[in-house]
Amino acid sequence: MQADTRELQFADVNDDVVRSIVQTGTKYYVTLAIAFGVTLACFMFPWFYQLYYGIGAAGNNHPAVWGTYLASFIFWIGLSHSGTLLSCVLHITNSAWRKAIYRSAEAMTLFSLMVAATMVMVHVGRPWFIHWAIPYPNQMEMWPNFRSPLMFDVMAITTYLTGSSIFIYMGSIPDFAAVRDRTTGWRHHMYVLFSLGWRGTDTQWHRLGWAYTFLAVLIIPLAVSVHSIVSWDFAMSIVPSLHQTIFAPYFVVGAIYSGTAGIVTVMFMLRKYMGFEQYIKPMHFDNLGKLLLVLSLIWTYINIVEVFTGWFSGASGEIEALKYRLFGFYAVLYWEMILFCAVAPLLMISKRFRTSLVPMLFLSIAINIGMYTERFLIVATSQPRQYLPDAWGLYIPSIVEISIIVGSLAMFVTLFLIFVKIYPSVSIYEVKETMDMPKRKGAPHGQ
Amino acid sequence: MANNAVGLFDEPEGALEAAGDLKGAGFGRPELISPIPLEGVEEVLGEKKSIIKRFTFFGAIFGGLSGFALAAGTAVLFVHPSGGRPIITFPPFLIITYEMTILFGIVATVLGFLISARLPAIRERLYVPEAAVDKFAVTVPCDTDEQFEQAAAILRNAGADEIRQLSGQA
Amino acid sequence: MSLIDRFTNSWAKFRKPGYYEEFDYAWTMSVDLDRCSGCGACVTACQAENNLPTVGEDEMARGREMTWIRIERYWEGEFPNIKLRFIPMMCQHCDTAPCETVCPVSATYHNQDGLNTQVYNRCIGTRSCAVYCPYEVRYFNYYDHHWDSPLEQQLNPDVTVREKGVMEKCTFCIQRIRQAKDHAKDDGRRRILDGEVQPACAQTCPTEALVFGNRNDPGSEIAKSLENPRAYHVLKELNTDSSVTYLKKVDADAS
Repeated sequence: MQADTRELQFADVNDDVVRSIVQTGTKYYVTLAIAFGVTLACFMFPWFYQLYYGIGAAGNNHPAVWGTYLASFIFWIGLSHSGTLLSCVLHITNSAWRKAIYRSAEAMTLFSLMVAATMVMVHVGRPWFIHWAIPYPNQMEMWPNFRSPLMFDVMAITTYLTGSSIFIYMGSIPDFAAVRDRTTGWRHHMYVLFSLGWRGTDTQWHRLGWAYTFLAVLIIPLAVSVHSIVSWDFAMSIVPSLHQTIFAPYFVVGAIYSGTAGIVTVMFMLRKYMGFEQYIKPMHFDNLGKLLLVLSLIWTYINIVEVFTGWFSGASGEIEALKYRLFGFYAVLYWEMILFCAVAPLLMISKRFRTSLVPMLFLSIAINIGMYTERFLIVATSQPRQYLPDAWGLYIPSIVEISIIVGSLAMFVTLFLIFVKIYPSVSIYEVKETMDMPKRKGAPHGQ
Repeated sequence: MANNAVGLFDEPEGALEAAGDLKGAGFGRPELISPIPLEGVEEVLGEKKSIIKRFTFFGAIFGGLSGFALAAGTAVLFVHPSGGRPIITFPPFLIITYEMTILFGIVATVLGFLISARLPAIRERLYVPEAAVDKFAVTVPCDTDEQFEQAAAILRNAGADEIRQLSGQA
Repeated sequence: MSLIDRFTNSWAKFRKPGYYEEFDYAWTMSVDLDRCSGCGACVTACQAENNLPTVGEDEMARGREMTWIRIERYWEGEFPNIKLRFIPMMCQHCDTAPCETVCPVSATYHNQDGLNTQVYNRCIGTRSCAVYCPYEVRYFNYYDHHWDSPLEQQLNPDVTVREKGVMEKCTFCIQRIRQAKDHAKDDGRRRILDGEVQPACAQTCPTEALVFGNRNDPGSEIAKSLENPRAYHVLKELNTDSSVTYLKKVDADAS
């Protein structure tokens, strides 16, 4: 760790954040162009091809009707969990280390949810009718089926998207005000609108504090329920290996796990490319690493429970599905998932590993690859081995599907890149709260 | 449009002390403009009541009732027998109720915040741009010049770096 | 009827589960596995009657079959002592169907005749019903299908042709049931007689292994089938209450 040459002042925080928004170099534009180009080439064009020709462009077949689109949907919803949920939990517990990183973590939540919503549209067979899943009065007098786990999904994700956007916006109103004073042109007008005329009086701070705490208290049970509901898309079926009660905790823990790994990746990129070395410190990676370690241990335990209860039940359907998952066609992926998500994170027991940034970056990417594999395996190894052996099959994703997975990642990166140049990605006032308050001149310390 | 005496401080303790002194000297309620939420404001200026919690509570209740009404009402309006389940089934409908409770609770909280903080600000109000960076400002409305001198003296006593006279409504 | 009246009537009628067990006609099929020779005539008949597409060799190799009734084949033993069993598997029209509850847009429901119906117009293709079905009898249209001329002349005008993105499955030839009901009404409000309506598969089966009828009719052939001691339901332990009964194959050398 390097010692700061000069202690950080309040004014420096404003300077740094405004600079990060306003200053754009060639590197930024090139990265944005590449991300946008990959989104178009790998997501939009294959999706239009699929819209024209049918879901047959994907690798789905008769027993395996769900494929990587749904696995990606669950992966992106999972990634969304950590930002807002973590921010709310750490706010309630008054922890200081959250202050510098939570804004971009919440942004990550928002963009993951948007990408997940597009994955639903890619997955569905007739997406031009997807508005029928929304309850609105219509001339057909038809309403969606609220008994369906997929409808719980619709309601939960709508609520979560609304809640996360409101939460990130509310927390940023004072920052918009601070940035508004220092920018010109179209940015200035935009921030005037977004800051709603915030002045920073004690009344306003008091109200904001209460509203923010209430929102945090409301969003924590919401976030837990959202991914439980997504897991019940699977767990409410009666096919073996999906119909397990452990699915709700499994998915929620997995979501927070992959989301926290996503935060580590995003923090590394922000620190390196946006000049936030003084705000995102190794201490943050240390704390995130501890959290990841705990989550990895819980995740490992839940996996053991899943395998054990399947084996212990002795039911032929369960045993067959378990054997297929561990030793069947995708055995390599299963053990790769165990390696990346259960074994490799044990490296974080050492504090030296947790505070070294590049190894943490690689580990966080590995964890997310492992978690994507987990979602893929849930979809790809449960359907081909159901109760009737004649209907067993094999699912191999097609090139269109793989391209759409890559494109969805590029879409997320594009959205995030646009975010960092419009929105203050480090919370100015919260960082100032963690710094030492200016002391009275001439007064002895401790007055 | 009233005149206001605005004192800029480098640190929060002076600002709090000045606010307490101004209140004690009989001025109207002083306002503290700061870049971060300050502690100790309530001891100096008195307790603040927040009506946001009422918004949240009633919003959540309304959300719960409307969530259940939506799910059960549409199930009965459009009877759709499926899976042998009763038309009004509680396990799925309770999940819908739960989600709508939280959704309306969140929206009601935001409304409560906007209303009680009087945002978005339609009229232009008194503002000190430095207070968004690293200064702490105390503002108090003054009607006459003597009041302004008196306020300025109290502010200087508490250690203000700068005194300004600004017109505008707090 | 006013809104309040509709609400209270529906509440009274549908509050308890089991409201649906009073079916008008309770269409049931029985499959005698002793008589089934695995010839596959039922598969062809279903394809002809219901405008099923011929997906082609490539798509079949990818596993995207489109056969609303399929003959499941299970081998036991090694040559020359192979025992081969056939199980014709079609939609079981479960009374507590797992597929019906999961459709988010209510595209599949249980009608008053005990049939599990699929509404093609409403389906948006989430394919969750196919995942939830333990018998895996639901089939998805992965492509738009076309029939080279003059094969489109052979299409059944009573049945639609489904577009891509829509789920479909065996309907117990609901178009024939509707037509039989219409004939019965034209004949003067009588009920459908036993044997008057046969789905395409039951009509074609050369060994009469498939028997179809109304189990609410006490004298029908299907009611006799249901009392057969060999009768069982596939995957009964999942409590799906299926409407298809299978009559166990008599094993000559079973101990």
